[in-house]
Amino acid sequence: MTSLNAILTGGLQGYILVALLLFVIGLGAVLGRRSILLQFMGVELMLNAANVALLAFARFRGSDVNGLAFYLVIIAVAACEASVGLGLVVGLYRHRLSTDTDRADALKQ
Amino acid sequence: MFLIFALITLIGAAALVFQRNLVVAGLCLVLCFMGVAGLFLLLLNPVAAALQVIVYSGAIVVLLLFVIMLLNEHEEEPAVRARPLQRWLSVAALVALGAGAVRLVAGSPLLRQLNAGLAAQAPGAVTLATLGNALMGDHLVAFEVAGLLLLAAMVGAVALVKRDL
Repeated sequence: MTSLNAILTGGLQGYILVALLLFVIGLGAVLGRRSILLQFMGVELMLNAANVALLAFARFRGSDVNGLAFYLVIIAVAACEASVGLGLVVGLYRHRLSTDTDRADALKQ
Repeated sequence: MFLIFALITLIGAAALVFQRNLVVAGLCLVLCFMGVAGLFLLLLNPVAAALQVIVYSGAIVVLLLFVIMLLNEHEEEPAVRARPLQRWLSVAALVALGAGAVRLVAGSPLLRQLNAGLAAQAPGAVTLATLGNALMGDHLVAFEVAGLLLLAAMVGAVALVKRDL
């Protein structure tokens, strides 16, 4: 079982597995919770999973610096997403006095 | 060492999903981001680890905690109505995705090949100097677009939250 060994001792497989499981947990937060703030945290987790996979592949391609440059751009996008997303949350709370996404169903009626 | 940081990351993330109190969930998010920063250090990437701590567990989580405390919603509200079908479907989808991920990673010959290729390379950390060269050389357009995007997001966030513009 060389794959299991690589996962346990920090080979590329281990990092990719952590990234994929982090993505699944983030998806679980988005699907399973109703609070929009927790769903937002789940989205951040999924973004981080992508970062882990990106930098792991960059390392195992000979410490490729392009991976870090991409990571920097992703961080900028994540910061924009956080500011605009939290602005939307505040706007939603102002209109409906709730952060429950099940209660924000005005477009369904 | 890898196992410790991986467990910190995954336990922090799992604690977030099952946490009732939103403020504690935000702190679980910090734990998870710190674990990811440790993983970046193990990948010989100290620049990414520092950025992870500063931007994610610093700026973004602080902003999130500010909003949680501002809105005074520290607990999830009771459900309007129970949705057992959607709940079980999402659990089934997540279990299928997780099992598929484990199978895919453990059985991939390409990953094994890349993993074996690491031993042949000289170990070298990514430094700030090489990052600066790459950013100002190959990725200049992306750098400028990221700056413009940050400005647009700043203006947009102010416009969204302001009561009467």
